[in-house]
Amino acid sequence: MQKDFAKLNYYEMLDISPVAAFFEIRHAYNAALQIYGADSMVSYSLFSNDERKKILNHLERAYLTLINAQERKKYDKELGQAGLLPQVEGRTPLKRPACIYDVKRQTGVKIMPKKTNKTILRENVEGNKKISEILSRPEISGTDLKSIRNELGIPLEEIAQETRVRLDYLTYIEEDKTNRLPAIAFLKGFIKAYLKILCLEPVDDICARYMKWLENAGKKS
Amino acid sequence: MAQIWPIGGGKGGSGKSFLTSSLGRLLAAMGKKTLLVDLDLGSANLHTLLGVPYPEKSFSDFIRKKITLLEDIVLETPINNLFIISGAHDSLDIANLPYEQKIKTVRAIARLDYDWILLDLGAGTSFNTLDFFLISQNSIFVTTPEPTSIENVYRLVRSIYFRRIRQYFTATEFKTLEREVETQFGEGSFNKPDCIIQVIKLAHPEKGEILESDFNSFKFKLVLNQLRKHDNIVLGSQICKIIEKHLGFHIEFAGNVTHDDRVHDAICQRVSFLERYPYTRTAYDLRELSKNIAKSGNQQLMLRYS
Ligand SMILES: Nc1ncnc2c1ncn2[C@@H]1O[C@H](COP(=O)(O)OP(=O)(O)OP(=O)(O)O)[C@@H](O)[C@H]1O
Ligand SMILES: [Mg+2]
Repeated sequence: MQKDFAKLNYYEMLDISPVAAFFEIRHAYNAALQIYGADSMVSYSLFSNDERKKILNHLERAYLTLINAQERKKYDKELGQAGLLPQVEGRTPLKRPACIYDVKRQTGVKIMPKKTNKTILRENVEGNKKISEILSRPEISGTDLKSIRNELGIPLEEIAQETRVRLDYLTYIEEDKTNRLPAIAFLKGFIKAYLKILCLEPVDDICARYMKWLENAGKKS
Repeated sequence: MAQIWPIGGGKGGSGKSFLTSSLGRLLAAMGKKTLLVDLDLGSANLHTLLGVPYPEKSFSDFIRKKITLLEDIVLETPINNLFIISGAHDSLDIANLPYEQKIKTVRAIARLDYDWILLDLGAGTSFNTLDFFLISQNSIFVTTPEPTSIENVYRLVRSIYFRRIRQYFTATEFKTLEREVETQFGEGSFNKPDCIIQVIKLAHPEKGEILESDFNSFKFKLVLNQLRKHDNIVLGSQICKIIEKHLGFHIEFAGNVTHDDRVHDAICQRVSFLERYPYTRTAYDLRELSKNIAKSGNQQLMLRYS
């Protein structure tokens, strides 16, 4: 059931756990700004300007309090005394290593998505007729993968370096030397790594079509 | 008993009918006996998306009492396991659906013997549309990544909320309720679900309790259709978050469906997009979506309809 935003505690406002680490607080605040900001597509039609201003003020107060260790301690104590923070009492905060490599976490954080190499690559993939034609085939061979890679202008050595898959294996894959390929379990991993580097999605689906091609190629020979 | 999933929201052209037909095809292909019901007020055209060009019976026949049993207007489609009730030819037919007959229709739909029933509800928030939404505690809202379409989703969620409350009160009681809320919480507070529920719980505790449990049992899903490459991929989950926080409904983000111009091509050629272009991102998204929906369709209870 709905609660008035002003009645939420700071942790609820920012959607974080009472034991959230500082970086999580920062991240949550950025994510909230993205949702409640004046130019946000998500919230513009839900609030009047007045309501939005109030919410943003609450969020700022929540953020500034929680991000300051001393203020936060004071606030936690108040909450605790009011009986509003039962889950923290008698429990030590979870010690979690900050996982900076957690990809999922990062999708929420980005305020201004910077154009990374990946985004550029993805745009090249999407904008390329030949690639899109190849990717819509029911079966995809190693030669097909090679043509895609050539379209994108990425040297095979670079893929070997990034995926740590041996260059000779990659070559066998691209040249459809099916008798020299590694065991299926490894092969799948290699193909997926290859697809990921080139930003070819959905990875599982394309990999499955490569495997299908391989199966049929085996039958023919 | 059938899984009933109304599909609506967004605005005209956001892809409700396309999604309904695609989900129908995929559920049918999973071996589930599936019925699609076209209840779109303005533009009933689901039959065309299913390769039934000239439906010989339609919802109009039922409304005009030419055919008395709802099961008798069900049509087969060229797809195995997939059936359709074609929409009214004349939008006036359904817009003027009298209350009694609407209740009759709702009950008849709930009794039909299918594994899955998807209702294509069109974009509006008319009382008829809302009442069809409330047949089931499940629903799927479709929006595109545009502010206008998103705005309509919020409007729809709010309207469903009010309609549900309205169903438990007579017109006079409802008016009194409105006055009561406004005196207690100030002008404009009748817009706030939170305030209304508080007053109901005080004045009509039993009804308040039922309503609260109704609202908690709603299972809404949001689908973001026609996502293009520069669109924000977390938009859908942000919308769900804000609905949960500020409108008090649990709503699950069920996934993005990528925009693909070939959807248009397939519709124009009157072929199934899923069959014609199975290896596109969009087809993949649709398959994932159908799995998500099929999975969550297990324990469904009928809501009381008064
Ligand atoms: N994922 C998609 N990618 C590209 N185009 C799409 C997609 N989904 C829908 N469309 C396009 O949008 C058009 C409208 O879709 P549809 O008829 O399903 O909308 P609707 O929401 O049912 O509209 P109405 O409210 O008028 O009934 C389709 O004809 C199709 O061309
Ligand atoms: Mg439609």
